Amino acid sequence: MIHLPKDETKLMVAVHGWSGIVLGLLLYAVVFTGMAAVFAEEIGAWSAGHVERQSAFERPLDGAIQALGARTPEKYHEGVDLFEIGDHNLGVFFHHHEVKPNGQLSSRGIYYQLDRDGKIVGEQTGNAEDVFGPRNDDALSSFLVDTHVRLHVPDPWGLLLTGILGLAMLVAAISGLLIHRHLLKDIFTLRRKASPVLAERDRHSVAGTWSLPFAFLLAFTGSFFSFYGTVGVPIVAMAAFGGDQEALSEAVFGNPAKPDPRPHAIGSLDRISADAIRRTGEIPTFMAIENFGRTDALVTTYHQPGPGDIEPVTLLYNGATAMFEHEKPSIGQRPSAGGSLVAIMGPLHFGNFAGLFSKAIWFGLGFATCYVTLTGLRLWLTRRQDDLRSLAWLDRTVVVVGFGLPLALLASAAAFLVAMPLGSAVYWTPAGFLLASAAIIAAGIALPARRLERLLQIAISLLLIALPLIRLMTGGPGWPRAIEAGQPIIIAVDIALLVAGGWMLWLGKTRTARPRQTRKISLQPAE
Amino acid sequence: MTYALLIAIGWSLAIILLLCRGDPKRRRTIGLAGPAHDTRARRLLGAAIFAPGLLLALSGDSASFLIWLGSCTVGGWLLALLSNDGPAPRASAGGRRPERD
Repeated sequence: MIHLPKDETKLMVAVHGWSGIVLGLLLYAVVFTGMAAVFAEEIGAWSAGHVERQSAFERPLDGAIQALGARTPEKYHEGVDLFEIGDHNLGVFFHHHEVKPNGQLSSRGIYYQLDRDGKIVGEQTGNAEDVFGPRNDDALSSFLVDTHVRLHVPDPWGLLLTGILGLAMLVAAISGLLIHRHLLKDIFTLRRKASPVLAERDRHSVAGTWSLPFAFLLAFTGSFFSFYGTVGVPIVAMAAFGGDQEALSEAVFGNPAKPDPRPHAIGSLDRISADAIRRTGEIPTFMAIENFGRTDALVTTYHQPGPGDIEPVTLLYNGATAMFEHEKPSIGQRPSAGGSLVAIMGPLHFGNFAGLFSKAIWFGLGFATCYVTLTGLRLWLTRRQDDLRSLAWLDRTVVVVGFGLPLALLASAAAFLVAMPLGSAVYWTPAGFLLASAAIIAAGIALPARRLERLLQIAISLLLIALPLIRLMTGGPGWPRAIEAGQPIIIAVDIALLVAGGWMLWLGKTRTARPRQTRKISLQPAE
Repeated sequence: MTYALLIAIGWSLAIILLLCRGDPKRRRTIGLAGPAHDTRARRLLGAAIFAPGLLLALSGDSASFLIWLGSCTVGGWLLALLSNDGPAPRASAGGRRPERD
């Protein structure tokens, strides 16, 4: 493929290896949780036993929003965000925009949580960052997403860290492409019975070669999301808007119109919702109202991409008359290549543009990336077998993170299932993760790496099989109830967990039955 | 869209499987007897893998194109993993050179 001079190849091997070894474990954590977070919505429905099929935007919401408008102070009528929460219930955030002392743009207001019938079941006043925390019924999916997005490190540092990890993945993908001399020739070669170095190297390079196009794509889009708000927006605001992020937001995302503050009742949101669904064929994922209760009110509806497309759709309505205005680009007032590029970043990263089919493929791509990361770390260690005694701690760390992370996540899921009916899932979901992590680290200190690996694999298998049973024992809906409610995702996740657990047990048994390969020092080249 | 996409994925995975079965290096390393594909055959099969993707891209169906590409990527990797559990390599009686890249 690409033939570099020997010295440059050596340099690239060093860049590839050291970038992997320094950031590989954190990258693995981000990619693994990202892989699971692809199904965050489905995991949320499965874990909380959601059986409602009708979206909040398909039910009448006009009366409830009018009533909320009447009881909310007018200073919070500048913007109203509507979105789904829990089991297709509605979250409504009346707010105004403000700039925090650090220059960051924020929203402050009242966040209402409504039940199926439009009754208020929760009400919080504060900044968006404070009121939109995890809830009892979505603590598990929130925990997964938060781990993936910022590794639970406070903003902006968590986002910067995951952004840097995305860049490290890009560096590893590019350097891997440059150092692999026979990229296509070796695409099917897995010498399992060869020396440990060659066997590990083949596992790593075959998975790496196949997943290379998407490694670029996922790393780039992931870094984009991390740096977009933390670096991109402040820099552009500084360069073009004198540091005024509100002005930037208004210019880029806003709807410029002549202000008309005369009072006017908001038009029918039910009509807007029905019309938006008819035009796009998709239920809104989000609805934003500007200048609620004024003549110049505007309503924007956001939708998933239509069939055959990956660009999300945004529609603009006159808020006072509820009449359709026009389709709105994601950025600016006219369609542009840049706007489309920004709009497709989300679907490209999340794989949610064609329902479960595209999500399943993205899950597979995430799994392949995890496999590449873990086999890369193992290859690095296997090549240094002579120093294995001094690197034994790293070998154990790779096992603790590689197999311990999935186990700790499963433990947090079990903790969620037990705690949710008691109303304490927000506390016990991360607590379950931390307790399991502490136990795994203690086992990592006490046990040899290979034994620990086998134990963790067995524990993962058993917990995968146990989770559907725990769900049923803690009051989750059974399969007949799920079928009756038309919610097959609960059954699908149960089956997926049982199959994955059974497959891992079978894999472990097969490997134990095979004669173990003795580790020998290899004199063969590994790249 | 769905039928065309499924046919495209099925076609490409079938060609990847053919390419995998006839891959000279894979056959040599896991000790399979019989002829392997020559360079021309591999190039032709390689082009055939991408044909459905090209059609999907030209039709402007970006969602199907991405799903097709992702399916080929994941499917190709899984085929490579599953197709290497062959018999043990034969002893290098004919003075076969040791395994190396």
